[in-house]
Amino acid sequence: MSDIESRIADTMLAKLRERDPALGPDDLARPIADLDLDSLDLVELHQQLESELQVKGDLKETAGFAFLDDFTTYFVKLANRG
Amino acid sequence: MSAGIVDIATAKPGRRIDNDHFTSIGLTDEWIRRRSGIASRSWLPDEASLAEVAAETCAPIVTGMADSAEIGALIVVSTSSRQRVPGIAQKVAQLVGLGPSVLTFDMNAACCGFVYGLVTGLSLCDAGSARSVLLCSVEAMSRMVDRTDRQTACIFGDGAAAVLLADRPEFEGFRQVAGCDGAQEALMRELDGGGIHLDGMQVYDRAVRRMTESAQYLFDHGPAPTVVVGHQANGRILEQVRNFTAHLGVPFVNRIEHSGNTSSATIPLAFAEELAAGSVPTVGRLGAVAYGAGEAWGGVSVGYRVPAVTGG
Repeated sequence: MSDIESRIADTMLAKLRERDPALGPDDLARPIADLDLDSLDLVELHQQLESELQVKGDLKETAGFAFLDDFTTYFVKLANRG
Repeated sequence: MSAGIVDIATAKPGRRIDNDHFTSIGLTDEWIRRRSGIASRSWLPDEASLAEVAAETCAPIVTGMADSAEIGALIVVSTSSRQRVPGIAQKVAQLVGLGPSVLTFDMNAACCGFVYGLVTGLSLCDAGSARSVLLCSVEAMSRMVDRTDRQTACIFGDGAAAVLLADRPEFEGFRQVAGCDGAQEALMRELDGGGIHLDGMQVYDRAVRRMTESAQYLFDHGPAPTVVVGHQANGRILEQVRNFTAHLGVPFVNRIEHSGNTSSATIPLAFAEELAAGSVPTVGRLGAVAYGAGEAWGGVSVGYRVPAVTGG
């Protein structure tokens, strides 16, 4: 796992644990619909990843993601673009 | 000399509506609190006159002045007033006993109205057009929402607040940043048949960005605020702005729990609650930041010295 992927995973896990402190890294692979996240949680996650990586994403794209892995792919690409 | 806030008064009249009220539309107290941070809000009776509510809110300020003739202008801000011609400001002026030579007008900039009103009122004072300006926000958002709409019915509340603006030697000049983006009007708007359309995710995202940027601007330009009050749109928005402005090192106010979103009235209501609770001193510098429909947004930093809070 790269440094960027690791920071993304940490940010996502922190968000999941706001809802359920018992969740762990394995839960990052579950579909978003199976997690206790509402639509505002996804906006918060989007903004927190932007802040963590100092990039600007497009909420219209991330709002439709079905898996947290999609956030990883999207934000890694943004971060590597610089 | 420069103008600032020298008095404040508030009112949340009407019936207290707790979250259990919304079980009839399938919403639970737990869901509403998680989604918005709101536990209760006030709703005015349908027949209540907004001009009378505004006048009752302003009255303690006016009667507390040594010479109310110093008031040269009255600005009444409202998103929810249905009265267009005449507006309600003139009636409020009459009800609180202001003289015939007072500039009075209504203003509507949705949830950003108080910030726009502050900019206008402070400018009138600093220009010498008025020795004092009375600025009142009064809202009955319960009349605008579709009370069966699960997305918006539980968010909005009613309330009123007024501030008196005047010059004091101790105040440093106000600073402001403001703007709008009419291209975003579809994000938040009143529906023709009643009710409010809200694009929740986009509004959340843009409100956080605009209010965070406005707060940062106020700290980067001029005397730093000692407290920041954001438009109390939703507790989740407020907590996110608080996170993103933590580095500024001053309190960021979240008082939405028992008020809900009262549109233009949220900032003075929350500020007054904070003062009444003793959470912030009665002398300082307020940073007020807001985001609203029409994508009107903005921020003001302004000195204040107020006596004990009245009303509420």
